Amino acid sequence: MPVLRSIPAFLGCLIAAGPVGAEPSAADLEFFEKKVRPLLAAQCYECHSVDSKKLKADLLLDSRAAILRGGDSGPSIVPGKPDESLLIETVRYTNVNLQMPPKTRLSDDQVADLERWVAMGAPWPDEAPPEPGGNREYFDLEARRDSHWCWQPVADVEPPPVEDKSWPLEPLDHFILAGLEEAGLKPAPDADRRTWIRRVSFDLRGLPPTPEEVNAFLDDNSPEAYAEVVDAYLTSDDYGVKWGRHWLDLVRYAESYGHEFDYDIPEAWKYRDYVVKAFNEDVPHDRMIREAIAGDLLPDPRVDESTGLNESITATGFWWLGEATHAPTDVRGDEAVRIDNQVDVFSKSFLGLTVSCARCHDHKFDAISDEDYYSLTGYLQSSRRALAPRDPGGAIAAGATELRQLQERATALAAGPPAPSDRARSPEQLWGFDGSSPAGWMREGEAFPEKPTGGEKLEVALLPATTNHVPAGVWHSGLHGAPLHGTLRSPTFTLKKPELHVRLAATGRVRARIVVDGYFMDEFNALLFNGLELKGKGIDTNGAWQWKRFAGRLHKYVGHRVHLEFIDEGDGYIAIDEIAYAKGAEEMPLVPIADPDALAPVMEQAQAVWKRMPAPDYVLAMTDGTPENDRLHIRGGHQNLGEELPRRFLTALGGGAIPETGSGRLELAEEVTSPENPLTARVQANRIWHHLTGRGLVPTVDDFGVMGEEPSHPELLDWLAARFVESGWSNKQLIRSIVLSRTYRMSCIPHPELTAGQIAEKDPTNEKLHAFRVKRLTSESIRDAILAVSGRLDPKLGGPPVGVHLTSFMEGRGRPKAGPLDGAGRRSLYTAVRRNFLPPFHLAFDYPIPFSTMGRRSNSNVPAQSLVLMNDPFVAAEAERWARQLLTEPDPAKRLTMAYATAFSRDLQAPERSMLDEFLDRQAGLHGTSRDDLRVWSDLAHLLFNKKEFIFIR
Amino acid sequence: MHCRNFIQRPVTRREALQTGAHGFGAVALAALLGDRAFAGLPTGTDPLLPRPPHYRPRARNIIFLYMDGGPSQIDTFDYKPLLKKHNGEDPKTAIGKLEPTQFDNVGKVMASPWEFNQYGECGHWVSDLFPHVAKHADKLAMLKSCTSKFSEHTAANYFLHTGSGIQGRPSMGAWVGYGLGSLNQNLPGFVVLNGGLIPPGGLDNFNSGFLPATYQGSVFKTQGQAVANIKPGEARPELQRSKLDALRSLDTHGLDSYGQSEAIESAIRNYETAYLMQTAVPDLMDFDSETEATKKLYGFDAGHKGTKTFARQCLVARRLVERGVRFIELTCPDGAGDRWDQHNKLKEGHEFNCMSVDQPIAGLLEDLEKRGLLEETLVVWAGEFGRTPFAQGGNGRDHNPFGFTMWMAGGGVKGGVSYGETDEWGYKAVQDRIEMHDIHATMLHLLGIEHTKSTFRFGGRDMRLTDVHGHVLHDILL
Repeated sequence: MPVLRSIPAFLGCLIAAGPVGAEPSAADLEFFEKKVRPLLAAQCYECHSVDSKKLKADLLLDSRAAILRGGDSGPSIVPGKPDESLLIETVRYTNVNLQMPPKTRLSDDQVADLERWVAMGAPWPDEAPPEPGGNREYFDLEARRDSHWCWQPVADVEPPPVEDKSWPLEPLDHFILAGLEEAGLKPAPDADRRTWIRRVSFDLRGLPPTPEEVNAFLDDNSPEAYAEVVDAYLTSDDYGVKWGRHWLDLVRYAESYGHEFDYDIPEAWKYRDYVVKAFNEDVPHDRMIREAIAGDLLPDPRVDESTGLNESITATGFWWLGEATHAPTDVRGDEAVRIDNQVDVFSKSFLGLTVSCARCHDHKFDAISDEDYYSLTGYLQSSRRALAPRDPGGAIAAGATELRQLQERATALAAGPPAPSDRARSPEQLWGFDGSSPAGWMREGEAFPEKPTGGEKLEVALLPATTNHVPAGVWHSGLHGAPLHGTLRSPTFTLKKPELHVRLAATGRVRARIVVDGYFMDEFNALLFNGLELKGKGIDTNGAWQWKRFAGRLHKYVGHRVHLEFIDEGDGYIAIDEIAYAKGAEEMPLVPIADPDALAPVMEQAQAVWKRMPAPDYVLAMTDGTPENDRLHIRGGHQNLGEELPRRFLTALGGGAIPETGSGRLELAEEVTSPENPLTARVQANRIWHHLTGRGLVPTVDDFGVMGEEPSHPELLDWLAARFVESGWSNKQLIRSIVLSRTYRMSCIPHPELTAGQIAEKDPTNEKLHAFRVKRLTSESIRDAILAVSGRLDPKLGGPPVGVHLTSFMEGRGRPKAGPLDGAGRRSLYTAVRRNFLPPFHLAFDYPIPFSTMGRRSNSNVPAQSLVLMNDPFVAAEAERWARQLLTEPDPAKRLTMAYATAFSRDLQAPERSMLDEFLDRQAGLHGTSRDDLRVWSDLAHLLFNKKEFIFIR
Repeated sequence: MHCRNFIQRPVTRREALQTGAHGFGAVALAALLGDRAFAGLPTGTDPLLPRPPHYRPRARNIIFLYMDGGPSQIDTFDYKPLLKKHNGEDPKTAIGKLEPTQFDNVGKVMASPWEFNQYGECGHWVSDLFPHVAKHADKLAMLKSCTSKFSEHTAANYFLHTGSGIQGRPSMGAWVGYGLGSLNQNLPGFVVLNGGLIPPGGLDNFNSGFLPATYQGSVFKTQGQAVANIKPGEARPELQRSKLDALRSLDTHGLDSYGQSEAIESAIRNYETAYLMQTAVPDLMDFDSETEATKKLYGFDAGHKGTKTFARQCLVARRLVERGVRFIELTCPDGAGDRWDQHNKLKEGHEFNCMSVDQPIAGLLEDLEKRGLLEETLVVWAGEFGRTPFAQGGNGRDHNPFGFTMWMAGGGVKGGVSYGETDEWGYKAVQDRIEMHDIHATMLHLLGIEHTKSTFRFGGRDMRLTDVHGHVLHDILL
């Protein structure tokens, strides 16, 4: 605890000069005064004394006691032992991570003086240490928590009374109206129905309403008309496309890793489809968060009705959507950066907190300590990245059950000689197996049985005759046949030697890997990780038992935390007998089966089962690894470790220790979504308000901390959050109640009685919502609206992404295959999200760069956007397509009506009609054609795409 | 909020070249301006209009010559005779403890294949790789103790450009635009002149990160169409003009229906600017007004293809300076070899790269000086790291982030000075060690921006280009 860290400062006064063995001699003291004190003063005290403007590393060097106490990294010197003294290591400049003074190495003489002084026992005159200055940092978590609004429980509030009782339609309107009335303001009148349906259509679906939808709504005078539109939109598939994208902004969704080669993130798009589907099904929001954090561990995973696939595990893919680099010279540092990003995305997305700010020191403003941060990182260190095989409808598991029985029968039929369990073992064995489940090993898929073979007899695998006798003590992915998929993972351990050997039998599409500090990019580029993977010919023993060696660069990773992965990709098998630092005796011959023909009927039956079994569907996921706590990284340095910190949730939110049986993510998920947690529901209610009204009640939607903004309507926020939880965390219900409110129905033109002066004085930024806010469409909606209007839109949901259309300006390593100009007519959500090749059309309109949570996109308004709409070939091509469509109507006047109804959800006004008539004449003249020429109408269509009304929604 | 002192200065010839409507950047939505994240800009400010700096700027523009791949300091500007003496020895014996390298294929101590000589009155050591630049030695401030935190290209590129090794942060050019706005509203404030190589890490090296898109770098080619969407699709200009006229009438007509119409009005104005930009960019690339002598100075007539490419880039850089573009970055020409990244065949690769950039850079320095532009234009020559004094394999050098050389010229920097030193091997910085943040702080300082005060609130922090670091290198300033 930082508070504890500062206590020795006061103790320092008590122990005065510290434990000096003998009194220093006068000569020693003279040496100190002449050589050492001036050196310390000149080179160190700017940052390490009571007078330092800013004390660095919590280290004082201006008294002997302080030097002995040391700073963040521990005691600075060991008197008498220069080689063991941090201070001496630092000034020697031999450790690139620890060099002081920071800018310039001391001269050799100066270093020698300090070494000599430490060797002398660090003589220092008996003097009172200087008075501590005001430069130490104090951190009082409880005080911070108690003084900031976001940590307080969600208040039980009632809608306030209002004067104009006829105005509110929904209880939430009371809060807005009360705020306006208090300021002496009047709410704007209702927007006309066309404006409202256009607004709600874009907000719920990201698409304009069709002219038919508009007309039906205008013709429906029943009191239910509004609700019917909303319910229709909420139940359309396009709702998930729109609102799923908002979620994807939070989790920095991308389909490639960026950095040098922009490698593919495997199966990323399945995560995108998971999100869209979850929104369309209105999966309770707390459930979605639990699935994100621990979908692999939930006792009741959700299963897709049509495919029978586990959905919940797909949700954990969000942890792995960050960027990744392929050749980190410091792999542990790389892990620390990756986990930092995971913590950052997790805490901003679900809690509206910037926990990552506490990586190097206690949070500068919020009630979050650096210990809180490293208590969270432990959950991630205890977890692993996996390509998880999903079993469609349990068909694989069912097949495996049948195969187990067949395998038992095969064993009974071909009972062989006793198992040679006493075979020679390596003297440096890490793991050998018997018939029990070894502690800490994890398996996925059905290829590897629950446990290694055991018992007295040789078992028989459902494999070709030469290789199907399996001795006891072997973990065999082919026991039930070659076609099964599966992965087996060892516990995490500290690598002690530069080589690792495995006695195995393998053939086909199988691999074995050593994963160092959770690093996974070596599968794409093994530059610094050669020798850490066995595959292809390097692992294929053609079924014989052989020792295989991991070596190569492995020597670089001695001392690192590693685990082993054995992967069977469904065509072959890998059987593991023993894992050791040195290989043991070779002899373990294959034992042939006496009468293979006896097995023929069983093998035939197995064949039928394999044929029936579907292949697993892989998703990128998180799974549990070996539980371990992280240690405090002092000042964020992973090479400078402090105490071990048990995994737990944030102190300010009542985080308690978690059980030691797993990573603890399931418990973490419960704490994040607990009704006691005041943040999670507020954060989501606020996000919904932000998307619908153009501004959050807390405008800084990802930061509810001190550096964020305070809520404009705190009671409304709590009221919405409480209703949200009451409704079972239903996003759709909250959205419905907001879009059916009077507030949402307001025009963006203020009440006619309000003067500009009143507005400027009482609500200049429209925080109080005296009128509805004009919103510019997102980049996706702009493009999707163009496709919808031109008639090109393909409403298909899901599937692998459509390639980005590449221009000659989009260059660089990892350049993907180019996609079609019109993105195959698919909604923008389905355009590939490659970090190094993001679509320029979208970037121009503030599409977020996927590096961290972006709950609120920036909202720029620049000429580059005009250039896109004016000159991008995509816009011109769609304009022409639309023009062809319009020209199917013979009456030019009706064409214009059609065009306005499609593009702007309204009819033209008379002046507009005459402007456009004039324009058509002019263009026909310039083109030298008739007014009905395609070029003329393409120009008109292009013009309308550029009209501000196309992208600014009232 | 900090105070910006407005400094009145006379209109120069250059400013006459700079047009003044509303440019690549321009007016943000009211919603955005009401945001505390933009506390640095008063409400209603056009984000790209020029803004007064924190204090008197020494430079108005920066030309950043980005030597992608990591040029070798010990083969260019950091002369280490000891290498010759120990050539071929085991570096672990000769040098001592070695840091992990990218490729982990440590060869022998390798002397530079090039001779070094002293140039100018200052006596800077320059190798035979840079005969043209050497003539300008007295203009250069050598920074010989530069360090990076990363020995892998991408992270190091991001670090050099954004002050962070992580992808997605704002590039230095974006920070400059955010801090100062732009002097030319018809060109982007941050232009990357692409010689053919996009550095590892891609366009995110030039992005605006969490800053508004307004400030992102625009990648220009110097051949053919310079930038995407700048060329009208219409067959004839009058067809487009007619369209834009009708557009303006329709948009103006609809203005009342929006209530607060500030954003719409800005968006309408943007079209006029965009229209002007369509001519401003081709005009920039039109060299008709340049004399043959000028072109020759840059190396337009050189035999080496890379020289010609980089010559065009350097000339466009000068023309951008004349037009008031604040931050201009040049990437290297494509060619044989792999950028400056000579893991093998150091001699061939470095010779190729030097031949591409040497004469054009010298031409640029001379031309800027002749036109009186050098004193207010900071030219920076930098790679993302340097190279090891020992070989990688037989004839290459691996990445070395522990000590390498950059140089600066013009724009308020003392010529002929040398700052910082590496050890006797040219391996690690040991005196006046410079971090990337110091380079950034110094560049911002020269433009009149106090790096600790140019902040943008994101994710609960007031973010800076220099993070929590950075010291201005006062010793090299005039």
